[in-house]
Amino acid sequence: MQLQINNKTHEVDADGDTPLLWVIRDNLGMTGTKYGCGLAQCGACSVLVDGEIVRSCVTPLDSVIGRSVTTIEAIETDPVGKAVVAAWVNHQVPQCGYCQSGQVMAATALLKQTPNPTEDDIAAAMVNLCRCGTYNFIKTAVNEVAGRKEASL
Amino acid sequence: MNEILRHPSAEAELPTGAPVNMSRRGFLLGSAGVAAGALVIGFGLPVGTARAQDAAAKVAPGTRVPAFLEIRPDNTARLMSPFVEGGQGVFTAMAQIVGEELDMDPQSFVVENAPTGPDYLVVFGKMRITGGSMSVRTSYDTMRHLGASARAMMIEAAATRLGVPAAELTTEPGQVVHAASSRKVSYGELAGDALNLPVPAADSVKLRDPSQFRWIGKPVKRLDMYDKSTGRAIYGIDTKVDGMLHAAVQHAPRLGMTVASIRNEDVVKAMKGVHSVHKLDGAVAVVAERWWNAKRAVEALQVQWNEAGAEAKGKGIRVMPADFSTAAFADRLAKEPGAGKDAEKEGDAAGVLASAKTVVSATYHSQYLHHAQLEPPSTLARFNDDGSLDLWMPNQAPEMFQADIAKMTGLDASKVNVHSPLLGGFFGRHFLYKSANPYPQAIQLAKETGKPIKLIWTREEEFLRDPMRPMAAVRFRGALDETGMPIAIEAISVCEGPTEGISGHNPDKMDPTALEGLTGKDYAIPNKRIAQLYVENPTMLAYWRSVGNSMNDFLYESFLDELADKGGQDPYELRLKLLKDNPRLSNLLKAAGEMSGGWKRGPYTAADGTRRARGVGMASPFGSYTAAIAEVSIKAGEIVVHEVWEAIDPGSIVNPAIIDAQIQSAVALGLSQVLLEEAVYEKGVPVARNYDLYPILPPSRMPRVHARIVESGEKMGGIGEPGLPAIPPAVANAVSTLTGQRIRSMPLSHYTFEA
Amino acid sequence: MKKFLLTLIAIIVIAGGGLFWFVTHKPGSPFDGETASAAPADLVHRGEMVARQADCVACHSTPDSKPFSGGLEMGTPLGSIFATNISPDKQTGIGNYTLADFDRAVRHGVTPDGKRLYPAMPYPSYVKMTDDDIRALYAFMMNGVQPQNVPNKPSGIEWPMNMRWPLALWNAVFVPSGTYAAKPQQDEQWNRGAYLVQAAGHCGACHTPRSVTMNEKALDEGGTDFLAGALLDGWYAPSLRQDHNTGLARWSEDDIFAFLKNGRNKHAVVFGSMAEAYNNSTQFMTDDDLKAISHYLKSLPGDPARDGQPWAYVAATSATGNAGKPGAQTYAAKCGFCHGTDGRGKNEWIPPLAGAASSLISHSESQVNVTLNGSARVVTADIPDAYRMPSFREQLSDRQIADVISYVRSSWGNHGGPVTPEDVKALREHTDPASSNPIVLQMR
Ligand code: FES
Ligand code: FES
Repeated sequence: MQLQINNKTHEVDADGDTPLLWVIRDNLGMTGTKYGCGLAQCGACSVLVDGEIVRSCVTPLDSVIGRSVTTIEAIETDPVGKAVVAAWVNHQVPQCGYCQSGQVMAATALLKQTPNPTEDDIAAAMVNLCRCGTYNFIKTAVNEVAGRKEASL
Repeated sequence: MNEILRHPSAEAELPTGAPVNMSRRGFLLGSAGVAAGALVIGFGLPVGTARAQDAAAKVAPGTRVPAFLEIRPDNTARLMSPFVEGGQGVFTAMAQIVGEELDMDPQSFVVENAPTGPDYLVVFGKMRITGGSMSVRTSYDTMRHLGASARAMMIEAAATRLGVPAAELTTEPGQVVHAASSRKVSYGELAGDALNLPVPAADSVKLRDPSQFRWIGKPVKRLDMYDKSTGRAIYGIDTKVDGMLHAAVQHAPRLGMTVASIRNEDVVKAMKGVHSVHKLDGAVAVVAERWWNAKRAVEALQVQWNEAGAEAKGKGIRVMPADFSTAAFADRLAKEPGAGKDAEKEGDAAGVLASAKTVVSATYHSQYLHHAQLEPPSTLARFNDDGSLDLWMPNQAPEMFQADIAKMTGLDASKVNVHSPLLGGFFGRHFLYKSANPYPQAIQLAKETGKPIKLIWTREEEFLRDPMRPMAAVRFRGALDETGMPIAIEAISVCEGPTEGISGHNPDKMDPTALEGLTGKDYAIPNKRIAQLYVENPTMLAYWRSVGNSMNDFLYESFLDELADKGGQDPYELRLKLLKDNPRLSNLLKAAGEMSGGWKRGPYTAADGTRRARGVGMASPFGSYTAAIAEVSIKAGEIVVHEVWEAIDPGSIVNPAIIDAQIQSAVALGLSQVLLEEAVYEKGVPVARNYDLYPILPPSRMPRVHARIVESGEKMGGIGEPGLPAIPPAVANAVSTLTGQRIRSMPLSHYTFEA
Repeated sequence: MKKFLLTLIAIIVIAGGGLFWFVTHKPGSPFDGETASAAPADLVHRGEMVARQADCVACHSTPDSKPFSGGLEMGTPLGSIFATNISPDKQTGIGNYTLADFDRAVRHGVTPDGKRLYPAMPYPSYVKMTDDDIRALYAFMMNGVQPQNVPNKPSGIEWPMNMRWPLALWNAVFVPSGTYAAKPQQDEQWNRGAYLVQAAGHCGACHTPRSVTMNEKALDEGGTDFLAGALLDGWYAPSLRQDHNTGLARWSEDDIFAFLKNGRNKHAVVFGSMAEAYNNSTQFMTDDDLKAISHYLKSLPGDPARDGQPWAYVAATSATGNAGKPGAQTYAAKCGFCHGTDGRGKNEWIPPLAGAASSLISHSESQVNVTLNGSARVVTADIPDAYRMPSFREQLSDRQIADVISYVRSSWGNHGGPVTPEDVKALREHTDPASSNPIVLQMR
C-alpha cells in the first residue's frame, strides 16, 4: 500500500486494518508519534490527515490511503507548526514530554483551522491527556500563538 | 510528484528517531567511550572500566570529573547525570549546579543519564535512585564540588598553556581568563590538556559564594524542551537496534497463575509476521517482525492457566485470590480488630480521649491507584557476541536493576549494561518491582530467539501488573477542650506500607512510608498517638508520587477539619493557632492565605453566580513544607476546582521555574487522585485495563494554579513530590464546606452532589 | 431477561390450577425406545455444527468454566437461575440421558424426571429442529464434549415461585409443535435459511418482540412481527426485515453474509449480545448456511409505517454543522476520533453512526449500553479485533451521555430521537462494563 506522509510517498507492507500509529513507528521508523493507550483515550498518537487531527492508534491504514499524513517529525515545515513549537519552548511546556508530540499536533491543527480561537475553541480542541499536568502551560502557549496574552493566568 | 521510498527507514531530511545509542548531537554514548578525535576531558577512564571496578569503595562517588563531564572543542559540555529525567527537570538542574561551579552556561550542556558505576552513587554518597524527591537535595554539594574541580582543572591546564601562575587566572563562562595579559582560552581548547591532569581533591576546591550565583536560583530554561516539542526525544519505547524483533505479552489474569497449555498455538504461529510463540513465567509472548503483529497474535492466544501453586511464594510475588474485591477489602480494613503498633506517641492520648467531654471519631479511606504514566513499560534486550547483555529500559535505579539482572542471568554485573532512557512519566512506577517490570520477559525472549527483542506492554497488560499505591482505612479519634481546641488525636491506620509491601514486612519494625503524613505533623496537639495495624495486601504494592503522604495528609487534614467544625473553629485559624510556635509553617500558611486574597472559607457566591467554598490543607513531605488552598463549586453534580493556591517552602532552591512546573504537575496529580482515580478489583482482576475505565485528570478539570516559593533558607528539601499531598485535603475540605457533606474517602466521583 | 422471567413467573402463578397429569407427563419422542449406539465421527462433527448453530455454549459455559459445565447466571428479581451442566457427566451432567431424554429436553423443555425448563432455554425454537439434527447434536454432546463433574448451582428462586409445572400450560399455548416444514413454493436455499433462522439459530429469541405473556409474537415469516426488532437484556436487537432504517433493507445479501461471517461490513460491526452470538455461533456456520440465512432474511418484507421516513445522509448536520448542540463537544472529544466527525466510521473496521439502525430506532438502549459499557471484543477465527469500543461510564455523566447520544441521533440525517439522563441512569445501574479481554468460549 502506498502511504503519503510528510510529503513523501512510502510503499508499506501492512494489512489494511493496521493502525496508522504502528505503520509510522515500526514500518517507517518514526518514533515521535507515541503510543499511550491504543484506545483513542489519550491523544499521544495524534497526527494530521489532510490537516485534520486524528488519533493514529484508531486510524486504520486503509482509511488514509490517498490522503496526506503529517507527523510531528515534519511539524516545523509548517509555519503554524513552527510557531507552535516555538511557543512550546518559550513557555517551557513539556515535562516528561511523552504526550507533547500529540499536544503540538493538536494545537497546530486547531490554529491552522482557527487562527484566532476563543477560550472555548481551545478547550474543545485541546483534549489530549497529560499525566504530568502541563495543561496550563499548554493553554498559555496556544494563546500566545493565537496572538493574545491569556487574561486568566 | 513525490519520490517513492522503498526503504522506509531511510527518511532523508527529517529525523526518524536516531539510533538508540546516539544522542541528538551525535556524541557517542556509554561504553563507546571517548568520541573519536575530539579533544575532551571526560571518559579518560572509559565507562566500561569504571563499571568494572567492583571495588566501589575506592571511588568516592561524584568526585571523578572524567566520569561525568566531557567538554567538546565547540565549547559545549556533555554531562552524565546520575539521575534519570522523567519530566521533573533534573537534567537541567544538574547542568545548573555543575555549570555554576564550572563557570559554563547551562545552556551549553547536553545531559544524559549516566551508565551504571560506582561514580554515580551520589545519593547520600552511597546509592543511586531517582525518587523520593532526593536528587538535587542529596547531591547538591557533591555536584557543586564536581563542577568546581573541573574548573580547577581548566585553570591548571591554562596555567601551563599560558605559562602563568594559576593564581593569576580567573574564569568567565566557558573560558579561562588571564586578565593581566588580556588573554583568554576557551574550555574547549583546554579540554585535551585538562584530561591528563589529576582531579583535585574535592574539598581542596573553593565553591562560589551563593550571593554570586548566576544560574542557581534562577529560572534557567530547560534543556529538553525543543526535543520534547518536536518528537525528537527518545524514550525507552522508541529505542531500536539492528536486527531486533518485537514482542508483546499476555499476562495471566491473576498474579501467580502459570501457563498450563495453549490451545491454538498453531493458528497463532501462522499469523502474519509471527516469528515465535513463547511460554513465560505467568505470561505468554509472541515475537514478531512488527509490534502490532505481535500484539494481535498474543491476544489471540487461548491460554489455559494453572492456579498458583506453592512455588509462587518463593518467587516473592503475591498470589491474587480469585475472589479478591477492593470493596470487600476496604470493609475488612475498616473493621479489622486491634489497636495497632505505636509509631508516634506524645502525652497520653488514650487517657485524654477517655476523659474528654467532646470526642470525634471517624473512619477514613484511601484507595488503590495506578501510576498511569503515559509511556507504557518496555524493555529492549540484546545479547552481544562477547556474552554481555545490553538493556534499554525505563528505570529509576540502574544499579539495582543491574544487580537483579546479574543474579537472574548468572552474568557478572560488569556484563550487564543498563541504559536508562528518558522516562515518559514515572511517579514511582519504575523502581524494581517484582513481577511489574518487563525486563525478565525481554531477556528470556532474547535468549530464546537469539535476537535483540523489544518488548512493549500494552496499556491493558500494564494495568494488569501495575503495582498499587496502598489502600488504608484510618480510624481517627480526636478530643476537644471546652474552647474547641484539639487536645488529643489518635490515628490507627489499618494498612500496609509500600516499603514493607515491596521488601517484606518485619514485625519488629515500622515502615515509615506507611504512616508519613499521619506522623510528622507539626501541629501542637499535646496528646497524640499514631499507630499502624498491619494487614497484608493481596496486591503488589508500589511507591506513588509522594508515597505515604499521597494519602495520609488527605486523611489527617480532612479529619482536622472535622475537629475544627466540631469545635466551632475556622479550619484556617485553627491551623494557625496550632502552629503559633512554629514561625516557618505559620509564615507558609499565611503566604497561601495571602496569595488567595485573604482566607475566606465560604460558602459564598462568586461573581459568576456560582456558589463556592474554599478548603485548606498542609503537608510536610520530603523535607519541604506546603500549604494549599482550593476553591470549588459544583456544576451538574460534578466538582469544579477553580483555583489552587499553593505555597511551598523547600528551604533553598535551584530553579524556580522548574519548581513552579512541578507544583502545577503535583496539583494535577493530587486533583486526579481526589476527583477521579481508584483502581477497583473484582473477582481478582482489575476492572479497568485502560484509561477508559480509569480516567485521569483531563484538561477540562485543570484549575488555575498559583504557586509561591517561600525560601526560608533552611535545609534544602525535595521538589518533585511535595506539591501533591496538601491538594486532596484542600479540595475535600472545600467540598465538605460547600455541601455540608463530610468527605471521608477518595475519589469524589463516588459521591453524589446536588447540582 | 429479568422482566421476562418476572412476567413469566407471574403468569405461572396465575395459571396455577392446571391438570396434574398434563403438567407432569413427559411428551413423547420419536427416539423413545432407541438404545445407544456408537456415534460415527462424522455424526459427531455434524453435531458440533448443530451446536454452533444453536449456540448452546453461549449459555451453558462461562469464560471461566469448562465447556458446557454450566454457566450463565440470569438474574431475576426473585433470585438468580443458572444454566445447567450439559456435559456428559453421569452424576452432574446429562451423561445418563438417552437420545429420547435429550430430545425431550432440547425440543420440549422437559427433563427426564418430568421437570419443565424455563423457556430461557429456547425450546420454542428448537422444537423445529429436525430429528437428524437432534440425533447429531446428541452424538456431539455425548462424544465430543468432555464430562465435567460440576454440580448445578441451585436457583435462587424460592417456593412457591420455583414451581415449574405451570410452565407446561404455557408451553401448551405458546410452543409450536413439530419440526420445520419446508415451504414447497420456496427454493431450497430459502428453506434452509428459514430452518436455520427459526429452529437452531433461534434468532427470534432476541429479534422478535414478545407479547405480555412473554411469548415471541411470531415464530415464522407468517407474522409481520417476526424478527421485527425487540428489546432484551438492555440491548435492542434490530429488525432483520426489509426495513430501510431499522432493518436490513440497505444491506445486500452479501452484506448480511459478511456480517455473519466476519462480524462486520460497511454498515455495522457486531456489538452487544450480537458480538457474543457472532463469536460463538454465526462465524462457525458454513458459507452455504450463511448465504441461506442472508437469502431468507432478504425475503422478509419491511413495514414503512413502522420504520418511518427513510434515512438519507445529510452532511449539513455533521459535527461542525451543529457544533452548538449539547453533546457536540463530547462527540468531538470522545467519539469523533473513531466514528469520524462525519459519523461515517472507518471502512469496515469502525462502524458508522450515520444511518446505523441503532441511531434510527426509537429505542436508545443499545446506544446507551454500548456507550456506558463498551462492547465485547469481536473474535474472528481466533483473532481478536484490531479496534474495540471503550467504556465511558467512568468518564461521562448520565447527562453527558444523554446529550452525546441525542447529538448522534440527530446528526447526519439520523432521526432516532433524543435520550434522557434517566434513560442512561436506568441502564447504568443494571449493567457492567464489557471485558477488554477477548472471550472465546470453548466447546471441546
Ligand atoms: S495512543 Fe492513540 S489515543 Fe492514546
Ligand atoms: S508531559 Fe508528561 S504526559 Fe504530558
